Amino acid sequence: MSAQAPRKLKASDYQSDCKPVWCPGCGDYHVLLSLTKAIAHLGLLPENVAIVAGIGCSSRISGYLNCYGFHGVHGRALPLATGIKVARPDLTVIAAGGDGDGFSIGGNHLLHACRRNVDITYIVMDNEIYGMTKGQPSPTTAPDWDTKIAPGGTGISPFHPLVIALASGANFVARAFSGDPNGTMRTIVEAIEHPGFSFVQILSPCVTFRPDQRDWKNLVHPPPVTTTSDASRAARRVMTDDGFNIGILYKGSREPYRQSVHGESGAGSGLDEEFLV
Amino acid sequence: MKSTPEDLASQPLSLEELLAHALAIESEAVQSYEDLAAQMRQCDNTEVADLFDRMAKLEAEHAAKLKEEAKDVEVPELAPWEFRWLGLEAPENIDLAGVHYLMTPYHALKLALTNETAAMAFFEAAAAGCVDERARALAIEFADDERQHVKWMQDWLAKYPPPDEDWDYDPDPPAALG
Repeated sequence: MSAQAPRKLKASDYQSDCKPVWCPGCGDYHVLLSLTKAIAHLGLLPENVAIVAGIGCSSRISGYLNCYGFHGVHGRALPLATGIKVARPDLTVIAAGGDGDGFSIGGNHLLHACRRNVDITYIVMDNEIYGMTKGQPSPTTAPDWDTKIAPGGTGISPFHPLVIALASGANFVARAFSGDPNGTMRTIVEAIEHPGFSFVQILSPCVTFRPDQRDWKNLVHPPPVTTTSDASRAARRVMTDDGFNIGILYKGSREPYRQSVHGESGAGSGLDEEFLV
Repeated sequence: MKSTPEDLASQPLSLEELLAHALAIESEAVQSYEDLAAQMRQCDNTEVADLFDRMAKLEAEHAAKLKEEAKDVEVPELAPWEFRWLGLEAPENIDLAGVHYLMTPYHALKLALTNETAAMAFFEAAAAGCVDERARALAIEFADDERQHVKWMQDWLAKYPPPDEDWDYDPDPPAALG
């Protein structure tokens, strides 16, 4: 974790002057609240935190915080975040985005970010849709979601992000619900504190294109079992749950990637000097 | 931590804890209403935006009063999960599922009424459990304040009849939904 703040900052101190333009009722508002509360609780200075995002409604979050922000290209939040963390291991690096950005366009990056186990936290605000481009099905959309844009549904099995993350080597895997901001905040705090690659799927309703998701608040429930350090047990559990179990599923003990152990990329090449400011 | 009124009776809040809860309720309410006002203004729903701004002002005045009450008390900084709300969140936290870009003043006031009622219930439960005399007196006072807010919301609401059933009809809908 990065250096602590000398004075206690409030959650609102981490919000930028840029007001969010998400639709009223969007779950992402509460994710922003949870994230700022988590950073404030950890006492991190804004200049010691980097928020990296891709493209999409939820990826706008990097602009709504006054920490370092990088609004990258579609699906590339994770390689950017990895690069920042490797170059500046003193920073707390958080990647954020949506299900389309993270599981489709950026899907392959997710696999390898889990595998590399660099000490970053990845937050995916999952609303099972591409909201910014007017409601196309995403990798987590149910196959029978019948709309004008996908008549009869896609018929394609949805992606299971938590299972994929576990199988790929993520060191911390959790699911949260935006309608439970305090619970989500606590999960984010634990994700940031846990060494290695932490993956948090946050169910975040899109009330505009998926008004049915307003009902998620009645469907989420605490997990029936406690957090495990056994990845295969965690995977079995998540493969058989109803998708609405919230809580920390898995905490592993795999050693995170350390640049000092694995060599310094660019050292001696002069590349690092070229980017000095 | 989610509590019940019985929990607050068996493990009463101290004066310091009560003030920490009260200040959290009001400061979160101010931010929630300000955020909602900004969201509505962005959707050109000016009437509801103005209403949320007025609610934010009301809560800010209440927060200032609470700060005055707490000036001689060392109020502890509690982590969000250390608060002992009757629900998952502070009672005046907005339930986003009740927010819509075409919502009317009626809906906004209903939302506020729900929150004020929840805050009143929290302070009533806290007052019933408080052992410390000053804490009990303050909890009763805070519950009375919230009761007054409930009354204001009800009076305000009486001026706005429920909207037509198709209040959320949008001739140019944002969704390509069937």
